[in-house]
Amino acid sequence: MTLLWIPLISLLGSIISSMTGKLTRNQSTGLTLLMPVIALLMTINLAPAVFAGDVIRETFTWIPLLGIDIAFRLDGLALLFVFMILVIGILVIFYARYYLSSNDSMPKLYAYLMLFMTAMLGIVISNNVIQLWFFWELTSISSFLLISYWWHKSEAREGAIMALTVTGAGGLALLAGLLLLGDIVGSYNLDVILASRDIIHAHAWYEVTLILILLGAFTKSAQFPFHFWLPHAMAAPTPVSAYLHSATMVKAGVFLLARFYPALAGTDIWFIIVSFTGLATLLFGAYVALFKHDLKGLLAYSTISHLGLITLLFGLDTKLAAVAAIFHIINHATFKASLFMATGIIDHETGTRDMRKLNGLWRFMPYTATLAMVAAASMAGVPLLNGFLSKEMFFAETLHQQLLGSMSWLIPILATIAGAFAVAYSARFIHDVFFNGDPIDLPKQPSEPPRYMRVPIEVLVALCLVVGVVPNFIVDDILTAASVAVLGGVVPEFKVALWHGFNLPLMMSAIAVSGGLLLYTQRRHLFKFHDSLPSLNAKKAFDKILFAVMKWSEGKINAIENGSLQRYITLMLLVVLLFASWPLFEMSHLGGEKQLTPIDVHNAMGAALLMIGAFSTVIWYHSRVISLLMLSVVGLMVSIAFTRFSAPDLALTQLTVEVVTVILLMLALFFLPQHSPRESSSMRVLRDIGISTGLGIVIASICYALVTRPLDSISEFFLANAKTGGGGTNVVNVILVDFRGFDTLGEICVLGIAALGIYKLLANLPLLIPDRDSEGRPWAKERYPMLLASISQSLLPLALLVSFYIFLRGHNLPGGGFIAGLVTAVAFILQYIAHGSNWIAERLTINYRKIIAAGIAIALFTGVGSWFFGRPFMTTWFEYFDIPLIGEIELASALIFDIGVYITVVGSTLMILASLGQLTADEPKGEVKI
Amino acid sequence: MFEWIISILLLIGGCFILVGSIGLVKMPDFYMRLHGPTKATTLGMASLLTAAMVFFSTTQAGLSIKEILISLFLLLTAPISGYMMIKSAIHHKLDCIERTKGIDNIEDDV
Amino acid sequence: MLETVMLIVFAMVGVSLLLNVWRLLVGPSVPDRILALDTMYINSIALIILYGMSMGTTLYFEAALLIAMLGFVSTVAVCKYLLRGDIIE
Repeated sequence: MTLLWIPLISLLGSIISSMTGKLTRNQSTGLTLLMPVIALLMTINLAPAVFAGDVIRETFTWIPLLGIDIAFRLDGLALLFVFMILVIGILVIFYARYYLSSNDSMPKLYAYLMLFMTAMLGIVISNNVIQLWFFWELTSISSFLLISYWWHKSEAREGAIMALTVTGAGGLALLAGLLLLGDIVGSYNLDVILASRDIIHAHAWYEVTLILILLGAFTKSAQFPFHFWLPHAMAAPTPVSAYLHSATMVKAGVFLLARFYPALAGTDIWFIIVSFTGLATLLFGAYVALFKHDLKGLLAYSTISHLGLITLLFGLDTKLAAVAAIFHIINHATFKASLFMATGIIDHETGTRDMRKLNGLWRFMPYTATLAMVAAASMAGVPLLNGFLSKEMFFAETLHQQLLGSMSWLIPILATIAGAFAVAYSARFIHDVFFNGDPIDLPKQPSEPPRYMRVPIEVLVALCLVVGVVPNFIVDDILTAASVAVLGGVVPEFKVALWHGFNLPLMMSAIAVSGGLLLYTQRRHLFKFHDSLPSLNAKKAFDKILFAVMKWSEGKINAIENGSLQRYITLMLLVVLLFASWPLFEMSHLGGEKQLTPIDVHNAMGAALLMIGAFSTVIWYHSRVISLLMLSVVGLMVSIAFTRFSAPDLALTQLTVEVVTVILLMLALFFLPQHSPRESSSMRVLRDIGISTGLGIVIASICYALVTRPLDSISEFFLANAKTGGGGTNVVNVILVDFRGFDTLGEICVLGIAALGIYKLLANLPLLIPDRDSEGRPWAKERYPMLLASISQSLLPLALLVSFYIFLRGHNLPGGGFIAGLVTAVAFILQYIAHGSNWIAERLTINYRKIIAAGIAIALFTGVGSWFFGRPFMTTWFEYFDIPLIGEIELASALIFDIGVYITVVGSTLMILASLGQLTADEPKGEVKI
Repeated sequence: MFEWIISILLLIGGCFILVGSIGLVKMPDFYMRLHGPTKATTLGMASLLTAAMVFFSTTQAGLSIKEILISLFLLLTAPISGYMMIKSAIHHKLDCIERTKGIDNIEDDV
Repeated sequence: MLETVMLIVFAMVGVSLLLNVWRLLVGPSVPDRILALDTMYINSIALIILYGMSMGTTLYFEAALLIAMLGFVSTVAVCKYLLRGDIIE
C-alpha cells in the first residue's frame, strides 16, 4: 500500500493546507510540510530495495474491461524523480513562508503547490499510461492555478492561459499517442509497453505514435518552438517558478523521454527529431538568455536551454548520453532551484528584477550573493561544482555521434558555443547584479533577507558543492538505479569524476569558459547587434492565433446553433426518423408471429380519449391554458393505461410527474405571452406536419413490430432475483434501489444539479410581470382565498401520511422514494399556492440546497457503507426481524438509500418550483423586477 | 347478501356519476353546470367507494378501510375545487341565463 | 350478478368520461374546461376502483388515491392561474 500512499498523502496535504487559513503562518507551513516529509521518509524506506535492483509494483483493479488499473511502479528513474519532487518541494514550501507578503493567501499557494506535487508524483510512479496521462493533465491544471496565483495581474492570467493552452494541447497529443501505443502493444500497462520494444518499432503506427508522444513531451519541456509559454509563466510567484521550472513541470517532459526511452528510442527518427529539437532549443535558449534584462527572464531562457541540452543528450545514440542526461536532470534541478530562490530574495529585498537597475548588491547582501554566485557558477559549468560534471559528460558525448554524417564535427562546436553563452549569461547574473557599480534607483533599500529564507538555498548550494567535489559519494547509487531503468538493465561503465585527465571535453570546457567571459565583456556590441534583429513577439503571435481559432470555432458554432428551438428539434427528430426507420425498411414483415389480443370497449375508449387529448393539445396550442388542460388529459389517460396493463409503479410516477409538470408549466406561462402568435408560414406548417406524421408512423410501426414478436428480455432475471438478491418483492423498486442503484444515484445527482442550476439561473432574473391577463382583465384582488388556505392546511398531514405510506411499502408493493418524494413536494406546493412563499418562509426555515446535499450524501454513504463489510459498492443488506406484537418486519439498507432518493426529490422539486414562485413573491404587479 | 348490497351501492354510484356528467353536458350555463359534477358525482363516488369497501372486506382477509381515505379526500376537496372554479368563473364574468338565481349576490371583486 | 352490475357501471362511468371530454372540447369558457377535467379526474378514480374490484386486487388503490389528491392540486392551480396569473406568489 506504500506506493499508493505517496501521492495520496500529498493530496491530503493539499486539503489540509487549504484549511489552515485561520492558523498563523508558521503553523500553516509546519502542517503543510508534514505531509511531504512523511512521504519522503516512506520513499527513503523503499529506496534500498530499488537500489538493489527491485522494481516495486502495486496494482488495484479499476476498469479491467478497458485495461485501466490504478497501478504504481517504483523503479530507479521514478525514485530519482520522487526524491527531487519531494526534497525541492519541501524546500520551496519552506522558502515560500518567507517570500509571500502578508496580503497573499498562504493556504491557497500551499494547497496548489501540494496539488501540483501530487500530480507530479503521480506521473513518475504510474504504471498505467492512461493513469500517467491523467496526472499529466493534472499538472497542467494545477500549474495553471499556480501561475495565475496573483490573478489580479493581467500578465499572470495571460501567462497561465498560455501555459495551459500549450501544455494542454500537448497533453491531448500525448493522450492520442498513448492510446495508439496501448493499441499497438495491447495493454496500457507500462511494464508491458517497456518490454515490447520490438513490436512497437516494427509497427506501422510507430512514427505517428512517436511524434504524438514527443509533442506531449516537448510542449511540457518548453522545447523549441513550443518554448514561448515558459518565459510568460514567470509571472508566477518566485517559489512557484523555482519549483515548476527546476525540478518538476518542465522536467515532466524529459521524464517522459526517459520513461519511454527503452520502448521508443533506438530508431533513426527518434534520434533525428529528439536531437535536433534539443540542439535548437539549447542554442536558442542560451543565446536569448544573455539579452534578458529581467533576472527571471534570464533564468527562464537558461532553463529552456538546459532542457534542450537534456533532450539533445537523449537524442544522441549512445548509452552514456542517456546517463549524462539523467545526471544533468539532477544537477539542473539543484542549481536552478537555488538560483530562482536567490532571485526571489533579490526581488523581495530590492523590489525589482531588472538587471539594468540591480548593481553592486554585494555590499548589501554578501551572504546571499555568495550563495547565488556558487549556484550560477554551477550553471556555467565551473569545475568543483555539479554543473561542470554533467557538462563534461555532455561535451564528451557530443564527440561520439554521427548525427550529421560527415559534418558531425559541427555538433561539438555548436555545443561549445552554447556552453560559452551559458558562461556569459551566468557571468552576467553574477557580475551585473552583485558588482558593476552602484544600484540605480531601487524601490527599496536592499539588505539581507530573513535568516531562514536562505536555508533552502544553502541546502541546495551545499548539494551542488558536494556533488561537484565527491560525486561518487552522493549520486552513484541513484544514478545507476535510474540508468538501469532508462537503459533497460544494461548500464555502460561510467565514472563520474572530477578529473579525467587532459582530454578534449576539458578543452571544450576551457574554451567555453574563456569564450563566455569574452562574450560577456564584449556584451555592448552584442546587445547592439541583438537589438537590430527583428523582434518576434511570441505573445502577440500566440494571441493572434488563439483569437483566429476562437473566431473560427465561434463562427462554426453559430452556424449550427442559431438559437432557434424549432430548428434544433427539427434536426433532432429528423435524425431520429432516419435511424429509427432504417431497420424497418430492412424487415420483410411488420407483424410478427404473435397473435394480437382482441380489442375490447375499454381499450378502444381509452385509446380514443388519448388520441383526442393529444390532438386537442396540438389544435389549441395557440391558447396555452387550454392546451395545458388537454395535455393533462393525455397524462391522465396514460396513467390509466399503465394501471390497466398492470404497471402500477409507472402509473403512480406518471401521475405525480404530470401534476408537477403542469404546475411548472403554469409558473412559466405567467411570464410568457398567453397566446402564441400565428407566424409560421404554410410551408413550415406543412414541413412540421410531415416530420411529426413520419415520426408517429415510424414509432407506431416499431411498437407494433415489437409487441407482435416474442420478447426475450432481462425481466426474467429481475423477477427471479428481486426477493433473494434485493430483499423486496416490488421488482421495479428493487431495480431502482439495488440492481441499478448506481444509475439511481447518478440520476438524483443530475436532479440535484438541475435544481441548483435553475436556482442560480433564476436568481436576480429581471422579468416583466404582467398586471392583467390576456383578455385585459386585471387580476383578482384576493391573493389567498381563505377557504382554500384553511382546507389546504388541513390536507397537509393527510398528504404527508399518504407519502409516508407510499414510501414505506415501496420495497414490496408499488411505491418508493421517488413517488413519495413527489407526493410530499406536491403537498408542499399546495401550501405555496394557498398561502404564498412568504407564509411558508416564516414557518419553514429550511434551506433546500442543504436538503438536496443531505439526500445525495445519504444515498452515497449507504452505497459506501457496504465497503465496510467487504462488499462491492452499493451492496444491499437486508434482514428479517421478528418483533413481538408487530410481527416480522424487514430492514434493508436499500430503505436508507431510498430515503436519500426521497429527500433529494423533495428538495429539488421544491427548490425548482419555489424559486420560480419566488420571482414574484415580494413584487407589486406590473413592475419590472431588477 | 353482500353481493346485493355491493350491487345496489355500485348502481347508485354509477347512476349519480352518470347524472353528474349528463348535467355537465346538458345544463345551459356554467353556474348550473357546476352543480352536476361537484354534487352528484361526489356523492356517486362516495357510494362507489363504500361498495368497494364492502367488496374488499368480504372477499379479502380483514376489514378494508383504505377507501375511506379516498372518500375523505374527495369530500374535503370537492367543495374547494368548486369554490375555486366558481371564483374564476365570476372573475371571468361568464354569461348566465335569466333563470340562474343569485347573480345579484355576487360582489364585483375587481 | 355482480359481474353484470359491474359491466353496467363500467359502461356508465365510460359514458360519463365521454361526456366529460365532450364538455372539455366544446368549452366554451376556460372554467368550463377546468370543470370537465376535474370531473374526468374523479371519474377516472371510479374507473380504477371498478377495475380493481373486477380484478379482485387492491393493487391499484394507490393510483386512485393519488388521482384524488393530485387532481385537486392541479384544479386549484389552474384556477389560481386564472384568478391571479401567478400561482405561487
